[in-house]
Amino acid sequence: MQAKVNVRRFNPDEEAPKPYNQEYQVEVEENFTVLDTLIKVREEIDGSLALRCSCRASICGSCAIRVNGHAVLACKTRVSEHLSEDDQVSIEPAGNLPVIKDLVVDLNPFWDKIRAVEPYMQPSLPEPEAEYLAPNDVMLHLVDVMGCIMCGACVSDCTVLEVDKNFLGPAALAKAYRFVADTRDVEDDKRLRMYNAYGGMWDCTRCGECVTACPKGVAPMERIMAMREKAIEAHTPTGPYDGAAYGYRHSLVFEDLVSHSGRLNETILLVKTVGIFNLPKLIAMIPIAMNAAFRRKVPPLFHPTIPGVGQVRRIAARINASKREAAK
Amino acid sequence: MKFAFFPGCVSRGGAPELYQSTIAVAEKIGIELEEIEGWSCTGAGALQESNPLLGDTLNARNFALAQRMGLPIMTICSTCQGVMAQAKVKLEDDAYRAEINEILATEGLEYNGGIEVKHMLWVMVEDIGLEKLRTLAVKSLDGIFLAPFYGCYIVRPSAALEYDEHPQRREALELVIEALGATPVDNDGKTRCCGFPILTINEKNSLAMVAKHTGEAQDLGADAMVTPCPLCHLNLDGFQSKAAKQMGKQINVPILHLPQVIGAALGMDGPTLGLNKHIISTFDIAMKMGVRI
Amino acid sequence: MYSHDVLVLGAGLAGMRAALEAAKSGANVAMLSKVYPVRSHSNAAQGGINAALTDRGDDWADHAYDTVKGSDFLGDQDAIEVMCSEAGQELINLEHMGVIFNRDDEGRLGTRAFGGQRRARTFFVADITGQAILHVMFEQILKYNVRVYDEWYATNLIMDGRRCGGIVAMEMRTGDIQAIQAKATILATGGLGRVFEPSTNALICSGDGMALAYRAGAPLMDMEMVQYHPTTLKGSGVLLTEGARGEGAYLINNKGERFMEKYAPNMMELASRDVVSRAETLEINEGNDIDGCVLLDCRHLGTAKIMERLSYIHEVSLDLVGVDITKDPVPIRPGVHYQMGGIKTDIDGRCWDPSGAWKGVEGLFAAGETACVSVHGGNRLGANSLLDTVIFGRRSAIGAMDYASQNRHLDFSENDWVNGEKTKLQELLNNNPSGDLVAKLRMDMAVAMDKGLGVYRTEDGMQEALQAVQGMRERFKKVVVQDKGKVFNTNLIFALELGCMLDCAEAIAIGGIERKESRGAHSRTDYDTRDDENWMKHILLRKGDGGEVIKDYLPIVVTQWQPEERKY
Repeated sequence: MQAKVNVRRFNPDEEAPKPYNQEYQVEVEENFTVLDTLIKVREEIDGSLALRCSCRASICGSCAIRVNGHAVLACKTRVSEHLSEDDQVSIEPAGNLPVIKDLVVDLNPFWDKIRAVEPYMQPSLPEPEAEYLAPNDVMLHLVDVMGCIMCGACVSDCTVLEVDKNFLGPAALAKAYRFVADTRDVEDDKRLRMYNAYGGMWDCTRCGECVTACPKGVAPMERIMAMREKAIEAHTPTGPYDGAAYGYRHSLVFEDLVSHSGRLNETILLVKTVGIFNLPKLIAMIPIAMNAAFRRKVPPLFHPTIPGVGQVRRIAARINASKREAAK
Repeated sequence: MKFAFFPGCVSRGGAPELYQSTIAVAEKIGIELEEIEGWSCTGAGALQESNPLLGDTLNARNFALAQRMGLPIMTICSTCQGVMAQAKVKLEDDAYRAEINEILATEGLEYNGGIEVKHMLWVMVEDIGLEKLRTLAVKSLDGIFLAPFYGCYIVRPSAALEYDEHPQRREALELVIEALGATPVDNDGKTRCCGFPILTINEKNSLAMVAKHTGEAQDLGADAMVTPCPLCHLNLDGFQSKAAKQMGKQINVPILHLPQVIGAALGMDGPTLGLNKHIISTFDIAMKMGVRI
Repeated sequence: MYSHDVLVLGAGLAGMRAALEAAKSGANVAMLSKVYPVRSHSNAAQGGINAALTDRGDDWADHAYDTVKGSDFLGDQDAIEVMCSEAGQELINLEHMGVIFNRDDEGRLGTRAFGGQRRARTFFVADITGQAILHVMFEQILKYNVRVYDEWYATNLIMDGRRCGGIVAMEMRTGDIQAIQAKATILATGGLGRVFEPSTNALICSGDGMALAYRAGAPLMDMEMVQYHPTTLKGSGVLLTEGARGEGAYLINNKGERFMEKYAPNMMELASRDVVSRAETLEINEGNDIDGCVLLDCRHLGTAKIMERLSYIHEVSLDLVGVDITKDPVPIRPGVHYQMGGIKTDIDGRCWDPSGAWKGVEGLFAAGETACVSVHGGNRLGANSLLDTVIFGRRSAIGAMDYASQNRHLDFSENDWVNGEKTKLQELLNNNPSGDLVAKLRMDMAVAMDKGLGVYRTEDGMQEALQAVQGMRERFKKVVVQDKGKVFNTNLIFALELGCMLDCAEAIAIGGIERKESRGAHSRTDYDTRDDENWMKHILLRKGDGGEVIKDYLPIVVTQWQPEERKY
């Protein structure tokens, strides 16, 4: 079938370069991947089309691009599944990174963030003669995270990076988790403190884009959540970033409220999260609270108990008791 | 058509207009809603951060209560929908479900797997049907431009939300908007994040997201945004002025709940739909839609 | 001008291991790579890495013998002994760096069976061992803050007579040409799979280092020894690991027979790769094929085992040919995978012989697939390549640092070299648009090579391929580069890579014609037996001063094992 491949291009050799669209008509087979298609364009139609690619087998991580607005690995994406009714597909460079040329983006900010999480083993010393012992289930658990091929698809579509380039981002934080979860690396406390800082694990907005974008099942967001759980459990100090402190409290207060009353009371949650003695923050909320109160949509501080609240309380108590047992 | 109704915490708290417009619209269309007695919060993803087992158990309890009623669940919040869909997938594992059922058994409850959980948005497309919706729309929303904003949890992960089995879910909001006679305004932000989960953690970023998406909708000529998630609504509506100020841009885009738009097309009035309860005034959009205030 | 004691060209496993060793020793070292280090093709190695651990009751001499036999007795036994005896310690080094190797019930490193070895000594990470080790090596590079020239393409070695003093390279980001001075240069640029079609190799595997060394006067050795991997996916040629057969998968023909029974009744599917590839080729030629392929059947391994140990091949089979290996057998056929030959080096990576037994280039080192020590001889055992890269990556770094400490920089004119390269590149860019497009010329070459230098070879077939390639080298002078830009001109890079591939292709054909016997991967139907009397030697090809190809021989180093009949 004939596909209309619309590519967002950029030629830095121009006088005053600006992004522009170019459409290529190319014959594609049923089993063609987006990469096969772009390589065909490059080899037979327009040799100036620049894109990174190498292995064709979703292991090198070179070919992350946006197809119809969402990040994918080109060599893993069947083009026929993404053609519109009139056989059109739109190709753009990965998002959240500066464009060098056509589909080639500047990955230096990406590598900088990987570097920032101290992405290397910090085991207990001295080193043993033979191997460090490690249970196989720990190693197997890490295979998925270690399966990250550094393609940048997650970073491309991250909604936080879109508004704040200081966020470490899903790839770096997933890499961070890889060390926190490796029993041989003994710097968990230091690491969790590091990742509690501004731009770290608490700045993830839990939107799930990175989980969807990742071609290797790394699920960065889940790893970030797992690190949050670890940090809370380990009572890792939150450090200077108040976002982390709010994050901890938000999680704990949420659990507390739901365990106790079965429902979430946004007013109490908000107040307890920022802290009842946090006058500056509370005062800043007054205008909105008043607006809401005026429209009678502020949940009351005490609201009626739900039917069956006893069930909820007992269930929560039971679960927390067995959690404490397991921790011993 | 009868559902075990799951309103979710926010529609009973900070977004009462969502609750009231849902009830009104359901009655008018002929959807029977029986609220699940004793339903609890789904955890909204936040509980799952600190205590995933409790989250799964509470949702299993909600499912068990619905099964006792012998009815499928209808939600009106993207977040409830997403969290429940993910819990459902986890609970399909027999061993895990058995473990949770042991806890539920102490309260005389049991979840047997396979519960159906549908957002009202999907009910409109799949159960009511777009054709019926078209005929029910007595008020023409012709000439009204509405920007859809889905809310992350009703879009990702698509497998748990059964997008492959129901491909129309990918564009359900646009389909409903069109069926009601209005014009959907395609926008880059429609499946992106409103920033609500980081409101207390990093307000600056949260508001930056609000400003980005509402600003975009406005620039594209939308008369209002429509969202099936009251948490998104809280952020996009409640914090819009603060966000606009932070960005240094004039933004004034009313944010409508899904049932409010449907209700408008059905000819309902403002008070019934709770249009007076928004922070960003809905006066203009109500006028445009011909809704009696 | 950039200047280093040691410059490593190529940032795959061998390159990074070398750079790491040099960095840890405090040397002024840098790596230069045309792709980011983690994109290197080492990441596609799947099955595992071999090592004989004495605390398991294994003996490195056993591993060495398996390797010697696997090489069809073309491997140099002193080099093999070095590799196998150092393997145990190096494996532990890798684990200490953090590689997430599979473990047994006691938490110790676990093994799987692999081709051509009588004992399981292959250590692995699911079926992504190469990726797992490569990424950990990269973590260490970050830890030691090693300087990397990312996305720079080396166009020439800086030479004066027989001494290499560094390289000239294009910074792809800007298109600028720079000279980088180095006392010792280590070539670790990997293989040349793209000379053939199909191939398991990535698009970047174009034999760049081999060509650069060859042009500078270093000898290439055993180039005719090109490994056909038995299990490459139908169509794309993407690799399906030998580890599948290690876990117990079968090879079956269109009659459902496990045909390896006929060819290697003892080791069956785990005979060495050349044996299996030949078996498959014969089956296909006899009509026992399905659309030019045979089948790899993993079903009986069960879903749990497949998802735990073979999840990557499950993924690519599904993505690229739509086959779920837990439910159906997957179509495969032999495809070019590895170059056993390469730039001749000694066991310390030197591309010249200080004693003068053979002529090479001083100050130049090589390691990994690009080098030929030779540890793999006529056929490489699976999981020995990952081992080769780290052992000789490390050793060549030590050799290079030693050389750098005893020698000064080469004196050369930066301007002359830079301008020389600029002129050549401009000429290429100025070619008349009536010439061949790069991709077309590459495909012509690759198809001709697959035809004339496939699993089974004949004199006529190889001569035809040689002629074709020589014709293409002429056509290459007029090849068309459509992109005339400076920034990130991938079109130009592809043209330069094609030039390297053509040089390598010619050497492969010449070597193949020269070796009048069948040994290892080189199977000739006109000389179909191994001829130990006349051919216990390596073939070296070196460019003379007038550009002519000089053939030479080197005896195989035999320490413990005399050649014997090779049966599996």
